[in-house]
Amino acid sequence: MKRGFWIAYVLLLMAQLLLSNYFHVTPYIFLTLLPVMVLCIPIRMGTVSAMLIACLSGLVIDFLSEGVLGLNALSIIPVAYARNGIIGLIFGPELFARKEDFSVGRCGFGKVAAALFLSLLIFLVIYIWADGAGTRPLWFNGLRLLASLGASFLLSLLTLNVLAPDPRK
Amino acid sequence: MRGRGILHKIVSLVIFILLEIAMLHLVSANADLQRIWIARGSHAFMGTVWGASESVRHYFTLSAENKKLARENEELIQQLAKAQQRLRQARIDTTATDRHPGYTLTPAEVVKISRNKQHNYIILNRGYEDGIQEKSGIITPYGVVGIIDAVSEHHAFALSLQNHDISISARLGLEGGSGILVWDGIHSNGAVLKEIPLQYHYQPGDTVYTSGHSLLFPPDIPLGVAGGSRVINGATNEITVTLFQDFSSVRYVTVVHNDSFDEIEGFKE
Repeated sequence: MKRGFWIAYVLLLMAQLLLSNYFHVTPYIFLTLLPVMVLCIPIRMGTVSAMLIACLSGLVIDFLSEGVLGLNALSIIPVAYARNGIIGLIFGPELFARKEDFSVGRCGFGKVAAALFLSLLIFLVIYIWADGAGTRPLWFNGLRLLASLGASFLLSLLTLNVLAPDPRK
Repeated sequence: MRGRGILHKIVSLVIFILLEIAMLHLVSANADLQRIWIARGSHAFMGTVWGASESVRHYFTLSAENKKLARENEELIQQLAKAQQRLRQARIDTTATDRHPGYTLTPAEVVKISRNKQHNYIILNRGYEDGIQEKSGIITPYGVVGIIDAVSEHHAFALSLQNHDISISARLGLEGGSGILVWDGIHSNGAVLKEIPLQYHYQPGDTVYTSGHSLLFPPDIPLGVAGGSRVINGATNEITVTLFQDFSSVRYVTVVHNDSFDEIEGFKE
């Protein structure tokens, strides 16, 4: 188990609450940390546990912030469900065999960034699609997806050292 | 070990679906826009599912459908047969619409006809029970076909125009000379108009009609078209005629009988 992971998880959940409540610069950018948090849940937790934790985290954000109730939870559960598939696809099956968690130092920045990108993409596609509810044009949703993906990706990279620290350090 | 892995995946999938449904329900219950959107998506999904299930159901009921179609097909065939019967009757009636005053017209259908002999004959499906009498003519809209020779209860035997024993009185044009029309014995639509006096001039292509001089046929029935001619014994013309009637396709005919036949024949006795 990663040392201090759950403390970091709760702190980042609070940070996400702040972002959801106070970061309203433009409708094109939606900042989220939930995908990187769920992606970094220890591998030994399993898919079902990860989904339940993700659902609970999403509901906390939904209840304590503005927006449609259930939207974050709806979007983050598929990330938790696909998490093992993403990790297996990008990092290979060795991590599961050794029950080791990934980190930038162990797996390389490129692979971690790719996993993060896929997780964010799944989350944001569902979130933006459901948030628009078929009322917004495709160009708006596409632009919002690109802007949110870029901003959230950069923000999530900053949290990687906290959520997935290199065990050799 | 592998079985547990599959079971674990199934359990994960089920939990995932349940959680997503629960979240969709939560979203739907708390936002009007999302509720409408989800309802629309749900209806589209259900429509697709129901449509697919209906297709499957139709596939498995094809046997019953085929039996139903076979029954309908049988009924339609029966209706078609009835309609064809009515059409045949209507055609027979149509051939009888040519009205010739002084003649009794009786529609009939050819039962048998010979065409490849020198003495050809025709058998009709009407006999004396239907009012058919001997020495009656047989005509169609295309000309003369033959003469009734013998009559039974339900059938009539007739000599075809394609018979060397038969000749009919014919005239060149409506006001030309009269002569005797006989089959040429060679062509199915070929005839010869004999004994036309030389003083009557004609042009090839003139129409040949029944003259009305015989008691068997009404006058002015078009028979064919005049062709070339030759002089016989320096006294009369013999003209080739191409008949309008195609004997290979004759089927519905009209039997004509002169109402005054017996009275006029009585003068001969």
